[in-house]
Amino acid sequence: MTSLALYPGCSLEGMANDYANSMTAVFDTLNVELVEIDDWTCCGATAAHSMSDAMAVLLPAKNLAAAEKMGLDIVSPCANCFNRLTYSRKMILKNIYDVPWRVTGKTQVHDMTRFLARPEMIAQIKQHVLMPLKGLNLVSYYGCQMVRPPKITGFTDYDNPQTTDMIVTALGANPLDWSYKATCCGAGIGIGRRDIQYNLSKRLIQKAFQAGAEAVIVSCPLCQNNLDMVQNEEGMPKIPVFYFTELMRLAFESEKCSVQYFRKHFTDPAPLLRKKGLAR
Amino acid sequence: MMEKNSEKTALDMPKRLSGPRRLIGDRGNHFLNKIEGETGANISACYQCERCTNACPVSVYMDVNPHQVIRYVQLGWREELLGSTTIWVCLSCETCTTYCPNDVDVAKTINHLRNMAFRSTVVPAEKILAIFHETFVNELQRFGRVNEFWLMGSLNRHPDVLKEKIKSGMLKEELALGLKMLRKGKLRLLPHRCTEMKKIREICRK
Repeated sequence: MTSLALYPGCSLEGMANDYANSMTAVFDTLNVELVEIDDWTCCGATAAHSMSDAMAVLLPAKNLAAAEKMGLDIVSPCANCFNRLTYSRKMILKNIYDVPWRVTGKTQVHDMTRFLARPEMIAQIKQHVLMPLKGLNLVSYYGCQMVRPPKITGFTDYDNPQTTDMIVTALGANPLDWSYKATCCGAGIGIGRRDIQYNLSKRLIQKAFQAGAEAVIVSCPLCQNNLDMVQNEEGMPKIPVFYFTELMRLAFESEKCSVQYFRKHFTDPAPLLRKKGLAR
Repeated sequence: MMEKNSEKTALDMPKRLSGPRRLIGDRGNHFLNKIEGETGANISACYQCERCTNACPVSVYMDVNPHQVIRYVQLGWREELLGSTTIWVCLSCETCTTYCPNDVDVAKTINHLRNMAFRSTVVPAEKILAIFHETFVNELQRFGRVNEFWLMGSLNRHPDVLKEKIKSGMLKEELALGLKMLRKGKLRLLPHRCTEMKKIREICRK
């Protein structure tokens, strides 16, 4: 049994607790132990590096130090947390700032999709699929923080990332090609400039619709909320936005997985799932 | 704000450039050297191919485009940069940095200018966004983790934000949205408090 240190991030406690629930269920099925980092703190997200670079390096360092103590590699479900932790680790290795915790930077930080897209994990996923998601046309959306900048994240295919596509293919679904895989959804700018965020998110949903997608797959809490919320606007096509773990749970649990799991979505995915015969 | 942007054409001169003419590079290389040294971004290598601006998803909302930011840094036009909307509108999506043929770290440069703007006396062009970043860090110092409910609460309590949001009617929309999220169980009302808050606060003072 593999063990990993889990750094959930602030969003998974609030806005994205459906992501957290599905993630726990999926990793239980896959027989991978997730040990939550004890007393983890916020990674600083966009605000910390906007205020000072030292803060952006030192805030995640506490979590890196805690994981080092546990002797486990970190896996992060949130794209922005993954980016900040990796950035902090690279800067710690360069020895620019004095870190108040004992940390060497030897802990690896994995993005959750990339961890699950490894050949051995894909083989395991295929074994556990009870109900293949046949006939579900979807587009996967990665956002910016997970893939860029490639020097920090280590993604070589930053133009056309494949990790989530590989996972949903293993589940039996049909991922489509589209050009907006890594175009920004507007992130947190909606707080001050709603118009910018809506314009960016609207374009993504419209392009997904034009590509023939019935659902969008994301792996970032903020992207999910932005893309889901913008569909409340008039004249927008209604496309459910799933976390990739939610679809994994659906395929793994089959009959047991109820529509209630998707209660927290703004655009209700139940009609789509019923139409495809994936839920009652 | 939107109307102003839609009227903008490619031939319109930015407001900053139509004022009295300034000597180009009248401050020597001090500003360039300072920023290059502090960020490690390869600013002198820029040859203005505008690839960053073309890749940027929000360049239409900026008054100084990303390639111009790099040029302004080379010229040492500090006030124009710190007073621009660019540094606040930038999403840090790193597209510019990724596609630069000369390895200029444009996103890091803009981010560094934002850091400088926090420490300067220049009035931020996007007030709410500037206040948001500060509120986020304040919340972080309070609990160690950031709770969305508390974060939005303290942001909307800020007098400047409150005034602006009531005027634009955004507050009403936001309250309706908040209620909807609460009903769906997307908000956690009681935040978690971390230990070792002393060290975290010390970091935030840096």
